Amino acid sequence: MQAFQNIDSKKTIEDWVNQYSDPLFSWAFYKTSSKETAEDLVQDTFLAAYNKLDTFKGNSQPKTWLFSILNNKIIDHYRLSSKTTKKTVSLSEDKGQEISEGFFDETENWKSTTINPIWKQDEELLDNPEFNKVLKYCMDDLPENWRFAITSKYLTNKKAAEICQDLNITVSNYWQIVHRAKLVLKKCLEMKWV
Amino acid sequence: MDKMVNSCKKTTELIDKKLLTSLSIKEKMQLYFHKSICKTCTSYEHQSRFIDNAVSKLFYGTPKNETSLSKEKKQNIIDKINKS
Repeated sequence: MQAFQNIDSKKTIEDWVNQYSDPLFSWAFYKTSSKETAEDLVQDTFLAAYNKLDTFKGNSQPKTWLFSILNNKIIDHYRLSSKTTKKTVSLSEDKGQEISEGFFDETENWKSTTINPIWKQDEELLDNPEFNKVLKYCMDDLPENWRFAITSKYLTNKKAAEICQDLNITVSNYWQIVHRAKLVLKKCLEMKWV
Repeated sequence: MDKMVNSCKKTTELIDKKLLTSLSIKEKMQLYFHKSICKTCTSYEHQSRFIDNAVSKLFYGTPKNETSLSKEKKQNIIDKINKS
Protein backbone atom coordinates (compact mmCIF):
# COMPACT_ATOMS: atom_id res chain seq x y z
CA MET A 1 0.00 0.00 0.00
CA GLN A 2 2.79 2.35 1.01
CA ALA A 3 4.57 1.64 -2.27
CA PHE A 4 1.46 2.44 -4.30
CA GLN A 5 1.07 5.73 -2.46
CA ASN A 6 4.67 6.56 -3.24
CA ILE A 7 4.22 5.90 -6.92
CA ASP A 8 1.06 7.99 -6.88
CA SER A 9 2.80 10.89 -5.12
CA LYS A 10 5.70 10.77 -7.51
CA LYS A 11 3.38 10.82 -10.48
CA THR A 12 1.43 13.76 -9.03
CA ILE A 13 4.58 15.78 -8.43
CA GLU A 14 5.88 14.93 -11.88
CA ASP A 15 2.66 16.26 -13.41
CA TRP A 16 2.96 19.41 -11.33
CA VAL A 17 6.57 19.93 -12.38
CA ASN A 18 5.44 19.82 -16.00
CA GLN A 19 2.47 22.08 -15.42
CA TYR A 20 3.65 24.64 -12.91
CA SER A 21 7.44 24.87 -12.89
CA ASP A 22 7.52 27.65 -15.50
CA PRO A 23 5.29 30.12 -13.66
CA LEU A 24 7.00 29.23 -10.37
CA PHE A 25 10.40 29.77 -11.93
CA SER A 26 9.33 33.10 -13.51
CA TRP A 27 8.12 34.30 -10.15
CA ALA A 28 11.25 33.20 -8.29
CA PHE A 29 13.49 34.70 -10.94
CA TYR A 30 11.54 37.93 -10.79
CA LYS A 31 11.90 38.12 -7.05
CA THR A 32 15.53 37.11 -6.74
CA SER A 33 17.01 38.35 -10.05
CA SER A 34 19.16 35.25 -10.13
CA LYS A 35 18.60 32.32 -12.47
CA GLU A 36 20.55 29.86 -10.30
CA THR A 37 18.79 30.93 -7.11
CA ALA A 38 15.42 30.70 -8.82
CA GLU A 39 16.18 27.18 -10.12
CA ASP A 40 17.23 26.04 -6.65
CA LEU A 41 14.16 27.56 -5.04
CA VAL A 42 11.84 25.86 -7.51
CA GLN A 43 13.55 22.52 -6.96
CA ASP A 44 13.30 22.96 -3.17
CA THR A 45 9.64 23.83 -3.58
CA PHE A 46 8.84 20.57 -5.37
CA LEU A 47 10.92 18.49 -2.93
CA ALA A 48 9.10 20.11 -0.02
CA ALA A 49 5.76 19.55 -1.74
CA TYR A 50 6.59 15.88 -2.25
CA ASN A 51 7.57 15.44 1.39
CA LYS A 52 4.42 17.00 2.72
CA LEU A 53 2.00 15.98 0.02
CA ASP A 54 -0.23 14.34 2.64
CA THR A 55 -0.89 17.79 4.14
CA PHE A 56 -2.17 19.11 0.82
CA LYS A 57 -5.89 19.50 1.01
CA GLY A 58 -7.79 19.30 -2.22
CA ASN A 59 -9.69 22.47 -1.35
CA SER A 60 -6.97 24.74 -2.69
CA GLN A 61 -5.49 24.65 -6.17
CA PRO A 62 -2.15 22.83 -6.45
CA LYS A 63 -0.75 25.96 -8.07
CA THR A 64 -1.76 28.14 -5.11
CA TRP A 65 -0.32 25.63 -2.69
CA LEU A 66 2.99 25.43 -4.59
CA PHE A 67 3.22 29.22 -4.73
CA SER A 68 2.75 29.47 -0.99
CA ILE A 69 5.61 27.00 -0.48
CA LEU A 70 7.76 28.93 -2.95
CA ASN A 71 7.07 32.26 -1.27
CA ASN A 72 8.21 30.86 2.04
CA LYS A 73 11.35 29.55 0.36
CA ILE A 74 12.02 32.99 -1.10
CA ILE A 75 11.66 34.57 2.31
CA ASP A 76 13.94 31.92 3.84
CA HIS A 77 16.45 32.60 1.11
CA TYR A 78 16.60 36.28 1.99
CA ARG A 79 16.67 35.59 5.69
CA LEU A 80 19.56 33.20 5.21
CA SER A 81 21.51 35.47 2.91
CA SER A 82 21.00 38.40 5.24
CA LYS A 83 22.67 36.35 7.96
CA THR A 84 25.59 35.22 5.82
CA THR A 85 26.25 38.42 3.93
CA LYS A 86 26.71 40.32 7.17
CA LYS A 87 29.87 38.35 7.74
CA THR A 88 31.21 38.02 4.21
CA VAL A 89 30.33 40.88 1.87
CA SER A 90 29.38 43.79 4.07
CA LEU A 91 31.56 45.90 1.80
CA SER A 92 28.70 46.69 -0.52
CA GLU A 93 26.62 47.94 2.40
CA ASP A 94 29.56 50.11 3.47
CA LYS A 95 29.79 51.41 -0.05
CA GLY A 96 26.04 52.11 -0.05
CA GLN A 97 26.39 53.95 3.22
CA GLU A 98 29.25 55.97 1.77
CA ILE A 99 27.18 56.92 -1.28
CA SER A 100 24.14 57.90 0.77
CA GLU A 101 26.22 60.04 3.12
CA GLY A 102 28.07 61.56 0.18
CA PHE A 103 25.10 63.81 -0.54
CA PHE A 104 25.73 65.82 2.61
CA ASP A 105 28.56 68.00 3.87
CA GLU A 106 30.04 68.01 7.37
CA THR A 107 27.23 70.25 8.64
CA GLU A 108 24.77 67.60 7.34
CA ASN A 109 23.39 69.89 4.68
CA TRP A 110 23.20 69.18 0.93
CA LYS A 111 26.55 69.51 -0.80
CA SER A 112 24.70 70.60 -3.89
CA THR A 113 21.33 72.33 -3.71
CA THR A 114 20.80 72.13 -7.46
CA ILE A 115 17.86 69.92 -8.27
CA ASN A 116 18.63 67.49 -11.06
CA PRO A 117 16.26 68.06 -14.01
CA ILE A 118 15.29 64.37 -14.07
CA TRP A 119 13.04 65.05 -11.06
CA LYS A 120 11.09 67.62 -13.01
CA GLN A 121 9.83 65.04 -15.48
CA ASP A 122 6.28 63.78 -15.41
CA GLU A 123 5.04 60.61 -13.84
CA GLU A 124 4.67 59.38 -17.43
CA LEU A 125 8.32 58.55 -17.17
CA LEU A 126 7.27 55.52 -15.17
CA ASP A 127 5.79 53.97 -18.33
CA ASN A 128 8.98 54.51 -20.27
CA PRO A 129 10.65 51.08 -20.73
CA GLU A 130 14.09 52.69 -21.01
CA PHE A 131 13.65 54.40 -17.67
CA ASN A 132 12.46 51.18 -16.09
CA LYS A 133 15.52 49.41 -17.46
CA VAL A 134 17.74 51.97 -15.73
CA LEU A 135 15.73 51.69 -12.54
CA LYS A 136 16.03 47.90 -12.59
CA TYR A 137 19.76 48.23 -13.12
CA CYS A 138 20.00 50.60 -10.14
CA MET A 139 17.89 48.27 -7.99
CA ASP A 140 20.12 45.32 -8.83
CA ASP A 141 23.10 47.35 -7.75
CA LEU A 142 21.77 47.79 -4.21
CA PRO A 143 23.10 45.58 -1.43
CA GLU A 144 20.80 42.55 -1.39
CA ASN A 145 19.27 43.30 2.01
CA TRP A 146 18.53 46.84 1.05
CA ARG A 147 16.88 45.74 -2.16
CA PHE A 148 14.76 43.30 -0.24
CA ALA A 149 13.81 45.96 2.31
CA ILE A 150 12.73 48.40 -0.38
CA THR A 151 10.87 45.89 -2.53
CA SER A 152 9.26 43.79 0.18
CA LYS A 153 6.65 46.45 0.68
CA TYR A 154 5.42 45.76 -2.84
CA LEU A 155 6.22 42.09 -3.28
CA THR A 156 4.17 40.88 -0.38
CA ASN A 157 1.13 42.17 1.42
CA LYS A 158 3.09 42.11 4.62
CA LYS A 159 3.04 44.82 7.21
CA ALA A 160 6.28 46.58 8.15
CA ALA A 161 6.52 44.54 11.36
CA GLU A 162 6.42 41.24 9.47
CA ILE A 163 9.00 42.37 6.93
CA CYS A 164 11.28 43.33 9.80
CA GLN A 165 10.83 39.89 11.27
CA ASP A 166 11.81 38.30 7.94
CA LEU A 167 14.88 40.47 7.72
CA ASN A 168 15.64 40.12 11.38
CA ILE A 169 15.77 43.87 11.95
CA THR A 170 13.90 46.46 13.99
CA VAL A 171 11.33 48.86 12.49
CA SER A 172 13.70 51.78 12.96
CA ASN A 173 16.43 49.82 11.19
CA TYR A 174 13.95 49.10 8.42
CA TRP A 175 13.14 52.69 7.52
CA GLN A 176 16.79 53.66 7.87
CA ILE A 177 17.74 50.94 5.37
CA VAL A 178 14.97 52.05 3.02
CA HIS A 179 16.11 55.65 3.44
CA ARG A 180 19.70 54.79 2.54
CA ALA A 181 18.56 52.62 -0.35
CA LYS A 182 16.51 55.51 -1.74
CA LEU A 183 19.47 57.87 -1.58
CA VAL A 184 21.58 55.32 -3.44
CA LEU A 185 18.82 54.92 -6.04
CA LYS A 186 18.62 58.70 -6.35
CA LYS A 187 22.35 58.88 -7.00
CA CYS A 188 22.23 56.04 -9.51
CA LEU A 189 19.24 57.46 -11.41
CA GLU A 190 20.79 60.91 -11.55
CA MET A 191 23.92 59.39 -13.02
CA LYS A 192 22.44 56.84 -15.41
CA TRP A 193 19.23 58.45 -16.58
CA VAL A 194 20.11 61.30 -18.89
CA MET B 1 14.29 77.18 18.83
CA ASP B 2 17.45 75.84 17.29
CA LYS B 3 16.17 72.33 17.89
CA MET B 4 13.21 73.01 15.60
CA VAL B 5 15.44 73.34 12.58
CA ASN B 6 17.00 70.07 11.57
CA SER B 7 19.84 69.51 9.18
CA CYS B 8 19.00 68.44 5.63
CA LYS B 9 20.33 64.96 6.33
CA LYS B 10 18.00 64.54 9.29
CA THR B 11 15.13 65.99 7.27
CA THR B 12 15.54 63.45 4.47
CA GLU B 13 15.47 60.73 7.12
CA LEU B 14 12.19 62.06 8.44
CA ILE B 15 10.77 62.21 4.92
CA ASP B 16 11.49 58.53 4.31
CA LYS B 17 10.39 57.56 7.79
CA LYS B 18 7.09 59.32 7.22
CA LEU B 19 6.47 57.30 4.06
CA LEU B 20 6.97 54.00 5.91
CA THR B 21 5.80 54.46 9.47
CA SER B 22 4.69 57.58 11.27
CA LEU B 23 6.20 60.67 12.78
CA SER B 24 5.80 62.14 16.25
CA ILE B 25 4.24 65.59 16.52
CA LYS B 26 7.65 67.08 17.18
CA GLU B 27 9.07 65.38 14.09
CA LYS B 28 6.15 66.56 11.98
CA MET B 29 6.77 70.14 13.07
CA GLN B 30 10.50 69.86 12.47
CA LEU B 31 9.80 68.55 8.99
CA TYR B 32 7.29 71.29 8.27
CA PHE B 33 9.64 74.06 9.40
CA HIS B 34 12.58 72.73 7.51
CA LYS B 35 10.68 72.23 4.28
CA SER B 36 9.32 75.77 4.43
CA ILE B 37 12.85 77.13 4.15
CA CYS B 38 14.55 74.43 2.06
CA LYS B 39 13.71 73.79 -1.58
CA THR B 40 16.16 70.92 -1.94
CA CYS B 41 14.50 68.92 0.84
CA THR B 42 11.05 69.72 -0.50
CA SER B 43 12.21 68.34 -3.81
CA TYR B 44 13.68 65.30 -2.04
CA GLU B 45 10.25 64.46 -0.71
CA HIS B 46 8.90 64.53 -4.25
CA GLN B 47 11.85 62.38 -5.39
CA SER B 48 11.31 59.88 -2.62
CA ARG B 49 7.65 59.47 -3.55
CA PHE B 50 8.62 59.23 -7.18
CA ILE B 51 11.04 56.39 -6.41
CA ASP B 52 8.30 54.69 -4.38
CA ASN B 53 5.91 54.87 -7.32
CA ALA B 54 8.54 53.72 -9.76
CA VAL B 55 9.55 50.72 -7.64
CA SER B 56 5.96 49.73 -6.99
CA LYS B 57 5.19 49.94 -10.69
CA LEU B 58 8.24 47.88 -11.51
CA PHE B 59 7.34 45.14 -9.08
CA TYR B 60 3.61 45.26 -9.03
CA GLY B 61 1.75 42.21 -10.20
CA THR B 62 3.20 39.40 -12.22
CA PRO B 63 6.29 39.52 -14.38
CA LYS B 64 5.70 40.64 -17.94
CA ASN B 65 8.30 38.37 -19.42
CA GLU B 66 7.48 34.77 -18.72
CA THR B 67 10.68 32.84 -18.34
CA SER B 68 10.79 29.10 -18.41
CA LEU B 69 12.76 26.53 -16.56
CA SER B 70 15.00 24.49 -18.87
CA LYS B 71 14.02 20.90 -19.76
CA GLU B 72 17.13 19.54 -18.00
CA LYS B 73 16.25 21.31 -14.78
CA LYS B 74 12.72 19.97 -14.90
CA GLN B 75 14.04 16.46 -15.48
CA ASN B 76 16.51 16.98 -12.64
CA ILE B 77 13.70 17.72 -10.22
CA ILE B 78 11.69 14.71 -11.39
CA ASP B 79 14.76 12.46 -11.06
CA LYS B 80 15.44 13.72 -7.56
CA ILE B 81 11.89 12.96 -6.53
CA ASN B 82 11.96 9.51 -8.07
CA LYS B 83 15.18 8.72 -6.24
CA SER B 84 13.88 9.87 -2.86
